[in-house]
Amino acid sequence: MNNVTTNDSLNTKTTSGKSYARHVQKILKGNYAAAEGAKLARAGFIPAYPITPQTTIVEELSNKVATKELDATYINMDSEHSVFAAAMGAAIAGERVFTATSGQGLFYAHEVLHAIAHFRLPVVICNVGRPSIPWNIWSDQTDSLAQRDTGWVQFYGESSQEVLDSIIQAYIISEELDLPVMVVLDAFYQSHTSENVWVPEQSLVDEFLPPKKLKGGEIDVDHPKAFGGLIAPDKYETFNYRYWVDINKVEDLANKVGEEFGKHFGRKYSAVEAYNITPETKLVLVTISSITSTARGLLPRYPEVGLLKLRLIKPFPKKSVLKALEPLSEDASIVTIERNFLGDKEGALMMEMKRALYGERNIKMYDVYTGLGGKDVPPRTIEKIIVKTLEAPEEISWIDLE
Amino acid sequence: MLQANKFLIEEEKVFSGGLSCRGCGWALLVRHLASILGENTVYVVPASCFSIIAGPYPLNEIRGSVVHTVFAAAPATATGIRAALDRKGKKDATVAILAGDGGTFDIGFQSLSGAASRGENLLYVVNNNGAYMNTGIQTSTATPYGAVTTTNPQANFKKTFPKDLMGIIAAHNIPYAATCSLAFIEDYRRKIQKAKETKGFRLLMIDGPCPPGHKTDPAQSISIARLAVETKLFPLFEVEHQKYRINYFPKEKVPVERCLEKQGRFRHLFQDESRQALNEIQDYVDSYWEKLLKLEKLSFEE
Repeated sequence: MNNVTTNDSLNTKTTSGKSYARHVQKILKGNYAAAEGAKLARAGFIPAYPITPQTTIVEELSNKVATKELDATYINMDSEHSVFAAAMGAAIAGERVFTATSGQGLFYAHEVLHAIAHFRLPVVICNVGRPSIPWNIWSDQTDSLAQRDTGWVQFYGESSQEVLDSIIQAYIISEELDLPVMVVLDAFYQSHTSENVWVPEQSLVDEFLPPKKLKGGEIDVDHPKAFGGLIAPDKYETFNYRYWVDINKVEDLANKVGEEFGKHFGRKYSAVEAYNITPETKLVLVTISSITSTARGLLPRYPEVGLLKLRLIKPFPKKSVLKALEPLSEDASIVTIERNFLGDKEGALMMEMKRALYGERNIKMYDVYTGLGGKDVPPRTIEKIIVKTLEAPEEISWIDLE
Repeated sequence: MLQANKFLIEEEKVFSGGLSCRGCGWALLVRHLASILGENTVYVVPASCFSIIAGPYPLNEIRGSVVHTVFAAAPATATGIRAALDRKGKKDATVAILAGDGGTFDIGFQSLSGAASRGENLLYVVNNNGAYMNTGIQTSTATPYGAVTTTNPQANFKKTFPKDLMGIIAAHNIPYAATCSLAFIEDYRRKIQKAKETKGFRLLMIDGPCPPGHKTDPAQSISIARLAVETKLFPLFEVEHQKYRINYFPKEKVPVERCLEKQGRFRHLFQDESRQALNEIQDYVDSYWEKLLKLEKLSFEE
């Protein structure tokens, strides 16, 4: 077991026992892994505004630009609303864009999130999840889950490695379908926690992610056109229909790109990941982000429990979820673990899972709120959820409430 | 520049059939602007009357690129466009924002200040017609003292003076800012040319005639705009890096009433019980002019 960074680490084994050719192994905090991902993707325009716990992403990117490690235009904007508006402008003009935000910043940018999506702009951002008022800067997915209806594709990363890798994949998906993509990571548990990360060499990324191709729909001063003018009722829904057609391609494309990424980099990804979901499984935990790792660590102790990790949340990967649950018996239960509160009885994962399973499977579903506002969700909390759902389940419950 | 070029449009860059009201300032403003900026220009348009005038999908009123954007962030959108064009080697293209007073004085104020502070290479054009006209004449912070709007009706006419946008933007130490009038076309065209040739953040504020909002006769738009300058309600001046220069000195003192009486939005001020407001407006106009004279003197004395 070797946990230190080495200069010549091509043959070094990580704690997970793997090594990757044409990579350098580093110990990186999640935010630095995100910045590394944006750099490797060769983002050319980075508008930025600080907000905890995202700030070190844009700080690191500004540093990479200042030292010419990254050839990009980096601009300190006056707000997140302006950040996203600037991202929109540069994307309309055909630039590859990256930025990062959190919580209030994402809420503030809400109007522009819609505009970017419905301008059909390929933009990739990172959101480091935190909730709203009363002030709280800690881990919570309410901010990004509240943006599900803006039209952005959303991936949730379980590890720093996954965040870095997802940013590279996000540009492929975004630029193929002209849809914006948000890669979400957990505040502090990921953003400020150091992990082993295999950082691919630039040339390896360049082979996988070519420079942005212009499609003719961008601003071209030699061929002037107008963008975004008023659209009459008889034509408006045509644009929505075309959007709908393309958003429906995301799940398959995410699986395809995740597969190709695996062939190229050695790490395969998919829209969802299933562990121990068999006809004997009594309970499936449904998780996103870093809580997944905590739950996974408990699986060996609970052979009757399976795990469904959702990586793609928007659009919701219904096909992949149904396929993952195929072996599950109708007597089993599902419990969704919510680190989000959307002002409703059920949390976001329960809503989405019910939507996906309706008319397809008749499995009992339970919802648990835990870890909101960054409260730790240690293994014993997950164990409580397992025991409670197996022995005395409630439709909706709050675990460890003080 | 040719003599005729001083006030004539030689090459029209705006298509016929624009959707402005009769006597609207936008129509003439954009014709002169576009003729000088040329087709190598990207116009960024936040919500405003011009969002409509520029043409609904799939039309484009101007021979140039037009990007419609969110109300509060036209300068930010333009910042992104500018950066992307620069990266593509299109540094000679002009990026111009066409906004109303609501999008400038109010909701877009922060974004404007941000872009000006950063020294973005953008031309900001504000058609100041003194209210939210596109939504039907609601008060903005550019609405003049004494005017009625649908949100300051009748006796509740606006009782505060408009925000001094030129003073605020000048305080950003930008290379060029100027006020313009459609009754002074030579002056306006010279300022467009100057703004086009200047690098960095530039702002032109045009006094925008609006017959439906000002309750005026469309045929009188230009003569009322002229009266606004002659009465010093809308003085013509320019500011380069905080140095002020007045561009037009009225030859004789014309009371503000001569301009206000032609606009229905001020009609109530001419009733006996409201006449005090006319005095207040006159005092404010006189003191603003005195301030401009002092600023000009301060700017150029050794």
